[in-house]
Amino acid sequence: MRRREFLESVARGAAATAVLGSRPAWARRALAAPPGMIERADWPEHWETSLASLGRSWNTSNERFFVRSHFPAPSIDPATWRLEVTGLVRKPFSLGLDELRAMPGRYVAHTLECAGNGRGLLPLPNTSGTQWGRGAVGNARWTGVPLATLLARAEVAPEAKHVWLEAADHAPFPTVPPFLRSIPADKAMADTLIAHGMNGVPLPALHGAPVRAIVPGWFGMASAKWLTRVRVEAAPSDNHFMAKGYRYTYPGEDPAQAPPVQELRVKSIITRPLDGIRVAPGILRVEGFAWSGPAGVARVEISTDGRATWRPAILVGERSPFAWRAWQADVSAMKPGTMTVMARATDSSGETQPIEARVNAGGYGNNSIHRVTFRVVA
Amino acid sequence: MSWRDAKGVRLAAAAVVVLAAALVLGAAPAAKRAPAGPHAIHYPAGAGRAIAERACLACHSTMLVTQQHKDRAGWEKTVHQMELWGAPVPAAAHDSLVGYLAERFGPAKR
Repeated sequence: MRRREFLESVARGAAATAVLGSRPAWARRALAAPPGMIERADWPEHWETSLASLGRSWNTSNERFFVRSHFPAPSIDPATWRLEVTGLVRKPFSLGLDELRAMPGRYVAHTLECAGNGRGLLPLPNTSGTQWGRGAVGNARWTGVPLATLLARAEVAPEAKHVWLEAADHAPFPTVPPFLRSIPADKAMADTLIAHGMNGVPLPALHGAPVRAIVPGWFGMASAKWLTRVRVEAAPSDNHFMAKGYRYTYPGEDPAQAPPVQELRVKSIITRPLDGIRVAPGILRVEGFAWSGPAGVARVEISTDGRATWRPAILVGERSPFAWRAWQADVSAMKPGTMTVMARATDSSGETQPIEARVNAGGYGNNSIHRVTFRVVA
Repeated sequence: MSWRDAKGVRLAAAAVVVLAAALVLGAAPAAKRAPAGPHAIHYPAGAGRAIAERACLACHSTMLVTQQHKDRAGWEKTVHQMELWGAPVPAAAHDSLVGYLAERFGPAKR
């Protein structure tokens, strides 16, 4: 740790101690959740998008996009912010926001899903972490520069195998490890984006302003927000959030030896009808979204007879790598009474959503089949 | 004024508005502010509440705690981790904190 960093961390600790029970002075003021969002924690902000809000559009608006941060959102002055590219490179450099924005970039739609999305629905008697329903997911258009472009400029050394994404957010106490994720160099070179825009505007503060990573097809924790440094290394980071956190751990297993949470699991949600609503007898349009990791969604099927039979839904609308697919199907809902509709997605590698996902201790990757129950009322 | 104080003032102001509106309309006043989310925004009463407020709220909101369910061993593990990371829990208050969390936020009935 350099002297300046040490002094800053001491100051943070002192400030935290002085204002116990209060927001540390360096952090951004907590924001109020917009209407339609489910506030699961108010500080740091953990906001879930309701299924009704998600169903409005293939493209999730910035105001309706789920928020999950490990630490309070830092206040960063975009005029002085710089991104360092360093480590196992021949030509380390740093650049400011204007320079990054001026570089040839991409404008791509990618789906982000929190690794804990659906944790609150798992039958876990002991839980840790935010108890998300199904709405810690969204699909946005990101503007940014391929990480590969920055790495090429830095001239990565042959022994480089991993890229560490270091960020500005931190806990009030310097003894808490900073949030840090690393990704394999192959993924960094392939399609990872250093994003400065979200749905056509500069990144909002809660989504990582001024710059965040977008790691397509991976759960959201990989897409580190508030980036300050890209460090090229031979090994993955041994930070707590890599070595112990975000692992599929089952009873009796050591988290450090458990498989890491990485690629998205194939999954679908039903955004219409909503659970518990009443509908008039007739033909009912069922709608939702489906997504997966690199394999991409191949098909979505629905069942209205308790999984006895499945029939295909139609994939509709925009198709883009690593973006979710909208789907729809019409079902006959003529007879008054209770009906349940289920949706299951399958990706192009043949992976299909399970009836109930295998429960891991951290509650990660819950891609159990979504079922919605409603009443047909004459 | 801290952000929580400011929030309290806003809530109080909102409560006055709601009360005034209810009186004007002749309806019963709203008894309590509904949480913006599905999780409790205050710790329930009980021995250990004070240390929970002092120790946990330095880094995150009450809601992050009140939505979790763990047995005593689970809370022991969590509190131990937080102490390692600097949570200000005096040694004498450790058992009280773990006991409070285990009693108020025990295993979920699922």
